[in-house]
Amino acid sequence: MANYFNTLPLREQLNQLGIAEFMNSSEFADGVEALKGKKIVIVGAGAQGLNQGLNLRDSGLNISYALRKEAIEQKRDSWKNATDNNFTVGTYEELIPTADLVINLTPDKQHTSVVNAVMPLMKQGATLSYSHGFNIVEEGMQIRKDITVIMVAPKCPGSEVRAEYLRGFGVPTLIAVHPENDPQGKGLAEAKAYCVGTGGHRAGVLKSSFVAEVKSDLMGEQTILCGLLQTGSILSFDKMIAKGIDAGYASKLVQYGVEVITEALKHGGVTGMLDRLSNPAKVKAFELSEELKGIMRPLFQKHQDDIMSGEFSKTMMEDWNNGDANLLKWRAETGETAFEKTPAGDVKIAEQEYFDNYLLMVAFVRAGVELAFETMVEAGIKPESAYYESLHETPLIANTIARKKLFEMNRVISDTAEYGCYLFDQACKPLLKDFMTKIDTDVVGKNFNAGKDAGVDNVKLVQINEVLRNHPVEVVGRELRKAMTAMKTIKTI
Amino acid sequence: MTEPFVSIHQLTVQYKNQNVLHGLSLVLNKGEHLLLGGESGSGKTTLAKAIAEVDGKEEHIKINFDSDSLLPAKAIYISSWYQFTNLEGDRNFYYQQRYNKHQGQDTLTVQAELEHYARQEGLDLASIEDRIKALGFEDTKLSQLIELSSGEHKKLQLIKGLWSKPQLLLIDDPYTGLDAQSRITLNAWLDDLAQEGVQLILISNDQQLPEAINRFAHIVDGQIHDVESSGKLSKSKGRTRMKLPDFLSEMPNAPYKTIASLKNVSIRYGEKEVLKDVSWEVKVGEKWLLQGPNGSGKSTLLSLINGDHPQSYGLDISLFDNKRGSGESIWDIKEKIGIISPEMHWYFDQNATVWHTIASGFYDSIGWFVDVKFQEKQKIEELLAFFGLSEFKDQLLVTLPLGKQRLALLARTIIKNPPLLVLDEPCQGLDTEQTQYFNDVVDELAHHGKTLIYVGHYESLLPSCIEHRIVLEKGKVKAIEDILENVE
Repeated sequence: MANYFNTLPLREQLNQLGIAEFMNSSEFADGVEALKGKKIVIVGAGAQGLNQGLNLRDSGLNISYALRKEAIEQKRDSWKNATDNNFTVGTYEELIPTADLVINLTPDKQHTSVVNAVMPLMKQGATLSYSHGFNIVEEGMQIRKDITVIMVAPKCPGSEVRAEYLRGFGVPTLIAVHPENDPQGKGLAEAKAYCVGTGGHRAGVLKSSFVAEVKSDLMGEQTILCGLLQTGSILSFDKMIAKGIDAGYASKLVQYGVEVITEALKHGGVTGMLDRLSNPAKVKAFELSEELKGIMRPLFQKHQDDIMSGEFSKTMMEDWNNGDANLLKWRAETGETAFEKTPAGDVKIAEQEYFDNYLLMVAFVRAGVELAFETMVEAGIKPESAYYESLHETPLIANTIARKKLFEMNRVISDTAEYGCYLFDQACKPLLKDFMTKIDTDVVGKNFNAGKDAGVDNVKLVQINEVLRNHPVEVVGRELRKAMTAMKTIKTI
Repeated sequence: MTEPFVSIHQLTVQYKNQNVLHGLSLVLNKGEHLLLGGESGSGKTTLAKAIAEVDGKEEHIKINFDSDSLLPAKAIYISSWYQFTNLEGDRNFYYQQRYNKHQGQDTLTVQAELEHYARQEGLDLASIEDRIKALGFEDTKLSQLIELSSGEHKKLQLIKGLWSKPQLLLIDDPYTGLDAQSRITLNAWLDDLAQEGVQLILISNDQQLPEAINRFAHIVDGQIHDVESSGKLSKSKGRTRMKLPDFLSEMPNAPYKTIASLKNVSIRYGEKEVLKDVSWEVKVGEKWLLQGPNGSGKSTLLSLINGDHPQSYGLDISLFDNKRGSGESIWDIKEKIGIISPEMHWYFDQNATVWHTIASGFYDSIGWFVDVKFQEKQKIEELLAFFGLSEFKDQLLVTLPLGKQRLALLARTIIKNPPLLVLDEPCQGLDTEQTQYFNDVVDELAHHGKTLIYVGHYESLLPSCIEHRIVLEKGKVKAIEDILENVE
């Protein structure tokens, strides 16, 4: 199978990369109509598979689960998930032939084998849905020409997809139709109906393409989302230990700090995050992050280049074929870091203290978000797509670090993300060596404001605020966040 | 002992720049067991938390713990509201979560929680096995915390607090959500503790109390006043009944005959069967009372009617003359139902104002809502006035006293004038006057063609319109009967 993107002429590459249309809620007026009465079969009953299925059924759609024979015979968790909730469960052979829509929600790495098993069983003119385009774009999977291929990708973990739906809301979702596989022109209508069925239409929907989704998703996950958070966390922890900060305190600050800090990012963007600092601390964080952006820009560009050329996926798939030798080795190394092995201390850290004592992480996050965004946009990805794959997802990954640190974060995210994360981390640490030697506990471990007067230069502060607020990630972010919180922010009278 | 056990001198506590307690002084001698009652919002909880130093050291309060006593020299406060976290430290739950099963645990089991608590406090699990049995709690030990009903959660909180036998035990709303038998059991346990030297401060407006209670007081204008008995506690001012807003007297449009029909319905989680072979029919216009001890399956039964239970699909259930799983969405079902339950209250959106809370009732969402139409805004204002909540409309719901939070959620329940009202212990947290007032409103709504399913433990606190009763016990229907005379 050849890399699909690389088979396209430049004109078409740019065209598909540039698809990013933020959809108006009126475009979902038909509700689930396009899928009403159709037979929908979900392959895979993990967190996404189960929770999306529960939502779709609660929206009045006909859902059943196709599992591999072994999963059913051995009553694995996927089988229990589906049967405990009174879904019809059957083998591929039993359910796929009559399906109008087959939703593939298995892990990325299994896509080739799953699709190869499912496709011959699918009836003429049916639809196949993905939640990530790697299989189509990077592995170059060819789907039978009578089959419609769509993508519906909720940008949150499966448990949130369910929780938000039941609260009467939804999670932001990305949808796409593969241009090579839309023989009847029904792809978009079905993707929209599917999106309504999961509640995604209430929280903002981005119409994208398989190509744009893959190239931006890979870039985001390996740089800002996982790679940089890992590098920043480990360097911060090691610095604090070297400078004599209590290990339990340092561990707690790093484990939970990134979640607290990026919660501000979620609500108010980079601006909102920096606004949580005092004026002198903001100036310092700005200066540090400018320096970090200068140092790391070539690395971000290299990652984007390798993603665009297919070099990254080629290397990674070689490792897949080698039994994940590198991946497992690097995962084990992550488990052996001092941060990972030091439990969070039983100390109380107030919310504001996470900002005041962990200014360095604020600088890392700003640098990473802006660099990832800038690099994607320079490569032809639209700002809307770049926003979702950088700023929007950062708090979600931070949450997984808060739950169980880095080893667990790497286990939870996709293998693709994990592989890229290690590549980034290994290259980034040496780059930051000189930078880190200058870092002291005033920006990581202790309160930056302690013993300082709160004065700053007016002009400098105004300039910094302007740079922060007018960055393109802030401009597009303000618009997109409006849709996500549209229902929350309506003022009373 | 001559020195008082608790002495409070000139205690002032502010909340949002308003004095809740204002120069309050109190002396509580050894052996005095206090009932603190009176109006919702008068500062009872604030005082109890200050005594237990929940939010830090309070220099106006002095407690003389007995260093010779075998009981731990500390004060434990059991709140009427509790928080538990999942295994990863989150509290991001939704009220239907206990019905959404997936492999892998979200929260600790009751057994693990009790073991954890025993280790933390140096207690012996064997020493309370009998108490756990007496409260009918032993069957829940293998359940996860998220699976517990409201009454079961209350029991868990009480078991933990009473088990510790602190020298001073403060309990906020001890009886909320408890069934009648558990309440008697609890009072006996509290009396035993009092015998052993535990001093009690209970916050409640109930009449059925432990015998040990020998002092009664209420708070008026931030100061504490003793009264002779629980009957003399201050009450919410007998509210002048306002006229029911006109939009609530409109007869519902009901193009169906049967609200709910369940035939031989069973619900199981693994080995545990929570509903066994339940059959029940509710016709349009009927007024039902649903009763049963804590954990008997009441909330699960209601979740089947409200479209909240994933196992509904594939069972023989019809709602509004429509077979479940025939293409309807849960939103089609919820549109016709006004529901309130203790679980919904616990997991309600923390960022919702009173106004947002009520507005969300139009869309059956938990705290969020789409743009509210002009007529809807008018209805919200009318209901705010009707429930006396107008001045609180822009405050966050969670910052109001519990009784007022309840009223706001009740307003949310009826705002869309739904044909079916499902009121699962709607008056938890309300005092007697407020309960009477609310039940009168329910009676009036019932006159206008609504169908009613009401859950309440205590016969004395029910609306008078009730005509049928279904009783559950351990997941089975124990009785379905007509109530010929109105319950009084």
